[in-house]
Amino acid sequence: MTNTLTSPIIAQLPGVFEQHLSDRKQAEPASLLTQRDEAFKTFMLKGFPAYRTEEWKYTNVAPFLQEAFSFDTTTTVANTTVEELLKAAIPAGLDAYTLVCVNGKFQKELSQVPAEADVQITTVSAAIEAGAYAPHFNTEYDYKHTFEDLNTALFEEGMMIVVKKGASVDKPMHIIHLYHHSSPLFAQTRQLWVVEEGAQAQIIETLVDPASNNAVLFNNNVTEIVTEATANLQHYQLQTALHHVRIVHQTRVHQHEDSVYSHFAFIMSSAAFTRNNIDIVHVGEHIETNLYGFYLASEQQLIDNHTAVHHAKPNCNSNELYKGVLLDKAVGVFNGKIFVHQDAQKTNAFQQNNNMILSEGAMVYTKPQLEIYADDVKCSHGTTIGQVSEEALFYLKSRGIGEAAARNMLVHAFAYDVTAQITVPAIRKYIEQIADEYLDTFANN
Amino acid sequence: MATENEIIQQLADKAYEFGFETTIDMEVAPPGLDEDIIRFISAKKEEPEWLLEWRLKAYRAFTKMKMPDWQHFKMPEIDFQQLSYYAAPKNQAKYNSLDEVDPELLRTFEKLGIPLDEQKALSGVAVDAVFDSVSVATTFRKELAEKGVIFCSFGEAVKEHPELVKQYLGSVVPHSDNIFAALNAAVFSDGSFVYIPKGVRCPMELSTYFRINARNTGQFERTLIVADEGAYVSYLEGCTAPMRDENQLHAAVVEIVALENAEVKYSTVQNWYPGDKEGKGGIYNFVTKRGICKGAKAKISWTQVETGSAITWKYPSVILAGDNSVGEFYSVAVTSNLQQADTGTKMFHIGKNTRSHIISKGISAGRSQNVYRGLVTVGPKATHARNFTQCDSLLIGDRCGAHTFPYIESKNPTAMIEHEATTSKIGEDQVFYLNARGIDTEQAVALIVNGYAKEVLNQLPMEFAVEAQKLLSITLEGSVG
Amino acid sequence: MMLNINDLQARVEEKAILKGINLQINPGEVHAIMGPNGSGKSSLASVLAGRESYEVTGGSVTFDGKDLLDMSPEVRAREGLFLAFQYPVEIPGVSNMQFLKAAVTEHRAHKGLPPFTPKEFLAFVKEKQQLVQFDSQLMNRSLNEGFSGGEKKRNEILQLAMLEPKLSILDETDSGLDIDALRIVSEGVNKLRSKDNAFLIITHYQRLLDYIVPDFVHVLYNGRIVRSGTRELALELEEKGYDWLKEEMHLQEPVQ
Repeated sequence: MTNTLTSPIIAQLPGVFEQHLSDRKQAEPASLLTQRDEAFKTFMLKGFPAYRTEEWKYTNVAPFLQEAFSFDTTTTVANTTVEELLKAAIPAGLDAYTLVCVNGKFQKELSQVPAEADVQITTVSAAIEAGAYAPHFNTEYDYKHTFEDLNTALFEEGMMIVVKKGASVDKPMHIIHLYHHSSPLFAQTRQLWVVEEGAQAQIIETLVDPASNNAVLFNNNVTEIVTEATANLQHYQLQTALHHVRIVHQTRVHQHEDSVYSHFAFIMSSAAFTRNNIDIVHVGEHIETNLYGFYLASEQQLIDNHTAVHHAKPNCNSNELYKGVLLDKAVGVFNGKIFVHQDAQKTNAFQQNNNMILSEGAMVYTKPQLEIYADDVKCSHGTTIGQVSEEALFYLKSRGIGEAAARNMLVHAFAYDVTAQITVPAIRKYIEQIADEYLDTFANN
Repeated sequence: MATENEIIQQLADKAYEFGFETTIDMEVAPPGLDEDIIRFISAKKEEPEWLLEWRLKAYRAFTKMKMPDWQHFKMPEIDFQQLSYYAAPKNQAKYNSLDEVDPELLRTFEKLGIPLDEQKALSGVAVDAVFDSVSVATTFRKELAEKGVIFCSFGEAVKEHPELVKQYLGSVVPHSDNIFAALNAAVFSDGSFVYIPKGVRCPMELSTYFRINARNTGQFERTLIVADEGAYVSYLEGCTAPMRDENQLHAAVVEIVALENAEVKYSTVQNWYPGDKEGKGGIYNFVTKRGICKGAKAKISWTQVETGSAITWKYPSVILAGDNSVGEFYSVAVTSNLQQADTGTKMFHIGKNTRSHIISKGISAGRSQNVYRGLVTVGPKATHARNFTQCDSLLIGDRCGAHTFPYIESKNPTAMIEHEATTSKIGEDQVFYLNARGIDTEQAVALIVNGYAKEVLNQLPMEFAVEAQKLLSITLEGSVG
Repeated sequence: MMLNINDLQARVEEKAILKGINLQINPGEVHAIMGPNGSGKSSLASVLAGRESYEVTGGSVTFDGKDLLDMSPEVRAREGLFLAFQYPVEIPGVSNMQFLKAAVTEHRAHKGLPPFTPKEFLAFVKEKQQLVQFDSQLMNRSLNEGFSGGEKKRNEILQLAMLEPKLSILDETDSGLDIDALRIVSEGVNKLRSKDNAFLIITHYQRLLDYIVPDFVHVLYNGRIVRSGTRELALELEEKGYDWLKEEMHLQEPVQ
């Protein structure tokens, strides 16, 4: 059986890459150029991830790669247009710094940045040149998929954020990735964030690709994160993209001792395809990891969340809760891995994935998995697939609440465990509102 | 009180109780796998042409198949050409009465606790004893025949009930299902056949006891159980093998067909030789077991207690095709030393209101790796399907592994699926509490493990449950502090 | 007449549960229905409230002249029928306050009234809360989640107070309550009694009727009301139990 995935992109890539590399020969450090070259070779050798292989068992990316994509992100956009588009992307009442990236490049003049003493923002290539952060870039990883190699080969400048040692950023930083293009675009977003010792920050991310673009965006995003000792990072991904957007999002976090990383993924988009990979690697003791996700999928959407937590050191906790609601003909995929290595005694790892299928034709594929090599641990996982409880529905109706309102209330209640974890009130409100609109649209169809 | 290390040592040193060898004249085919050996086997068994063709079809499929690569252990190199595919006690393919059976063989089974003399046999259990590849004796056949129950060796069934065999053979596990099933279909030498007619409740437990004895052979038995409408049968399977330094391959197939309102309960206590404490020797157990609830309200229940084998690779499954049919899987899998188990179940919900229930208890000790791998899938037509899965792992010692890989798929908005899994170790406070009441650690562990496995053990028929409980205690004897 | 049940028959799956119930309730009246376990008491409550698992196979029910059986559960509620559940449902993630607000708003809309302002609503909640002695700390918790048995039942009575129904059906509200909780719940109900509303109290024991004194008592057995009377009937049952009833009934009709 062959799994070779065909896409017109493959033929186009060598030329694109050659041009890309020659454009950078002067500007980029040799080490980066070498890594790009190696990554590209790996990609060309392996191609896009093949359907039915274990990591892509239920997710076929081929249909999403058939356009005649351009890799050109040099389109310039008028600042006024950008400002107009940004307004819609900012949750009402959110008091945050705004970091604007247009077609993958940070735009300082359009951003409101925190004090430089607290947060340093540069490009990934500049950071690698400076040397200090180079080891955090393009780290080795067992389960690296080839989208990541393609990103390494082709990303432009990338965005480097360093939250300085001991800094406690006073407001959340809201990164808005804006894409503007008039033909199908395959864009690599690359980020490297380091939260230094004792620093604390909240980062919110939104992708904006307006309907006016009128063309497909395939966003291949790689974000590498390091939380140094005792650092604390909250990371919110608000995925609200429109139908013409396709997303492969890779987040990899290396956590050092006593650090806390909390990830919130809210996938309430109409994007045709979303694949999120979150990989957490513990490199110190007494670490806490929290992964929260809520996904709402309708029409023909495919939403795939893959998470992995590597407990490599003793005395760490991880806590994961992903909940999803599937409507129409949508497909939800969840894969959660917990690895507890031999030395990771006294690990507490908890994982839960709950799904509601509300329409005929919707599907859920879930695989929570535990691989445990240490004995003094407490690990559990649970998963459910079901519907709104008939008993609860009857109870609400018997108090005069109408069928549709009661259902909405119960779906919100279902999401509550996740939304209740949000610590930024404006975001919680924003999420609940989007969920409302989403469910109302569904109820009225 | 012994220290943890001492106790683990004792466990490792514990001899495999059933590791003796029987000296008896055997007819063994030379090693090698090709169409000729398949023709040889088929001819030896005086099989009809259609069955030979089926075997050859399976063999051709086998030659095109690759070894699986998704399991959680490194697949050993198995040189299929180095194995012998036929071994049988000399001169006798069929015994007319027990008097004709080599007394050494009878003694072997007696030693294993399976007396074939009906006078001594457990009342209420009919036994088909399979020694290497051949069925030695089937007890209580007359009593069963009175009820219309057919219980005989596979070879006899082919001769005496060809229409039934032809209808159902390969209907649940096709000849090309997987590489081991294909190999089995090509070279299977014997096994058991059961047919329970319409409306009959089989008056006693049916049991097959498998014994691998010969060196350098594989064992490839095949079991086919058909429960006609409204029939009921409880079927037990036990197995042991001598201690040998080299690994031996066991690739069996079990097919179960349950028609409307029929119920089949299949219980296994698997105690193949697991290899020594260095991981030398032991059985490679690659088994395909599958049942189909063909008719409405049919029920198939698998219960397994897995303690043996160097490698266990098996996933007893149920295809829930009939409306309101029920599938169950109860499993205790114990691994110690360097054993590796990758086992679980598959439940395919196809019909309406189908229900499945999965209870899996894994216990890992020593340097072993113990995997639960399961699939629950609900199709678009399986309205109001229900599944509940509870999957627990217990770790004893810090050099073993416990892993859980459940695949859960639903395409139906009325289905309810629940899966829960936990991993823990034996509570020190539990052991201490029992110590404080005068129970030594070894016994305390045995008590706790038996309690932990109770839900599954309770599913076994009485005699088997006692046996299994003993086996658990022996296997884990004092493996914790 | 507020409620007129005429020859009501209903089944669950294939099993006939109600086999011809006749019952009339007028405003201002309190009726009690008693009977042994499995006699169909709670089923009657469920059928009246519109639980979907029950299939009405015959008879009719009018509520204030309208066909009750034709209404969805939520419309029955808005029309003024209230069922205090024997087992109130826990709904994690829906706060008690949010739930009450939604229910009250729907009831007001049904009457053509505008929603309460947040301030009005809070005042309204506070008033009713005090009336039924409901712990205000439970207001912001998830609906019934982790509530004690008594707290759940008190929450039912709070809802009753807030929704101001015409007919309240109390389904074994006394089960699982200690004597203090029983007293508090009963006091709440007694405060809410008026000449315009009515109560149908379903109970296994006479005990509750010491606190909420009924005008009429009916005995339900095997899907039928086999005897009706005044309060004395309840006391008689308390004294003799239900066994005599079973014997008497079996003599009258063949055992199935």
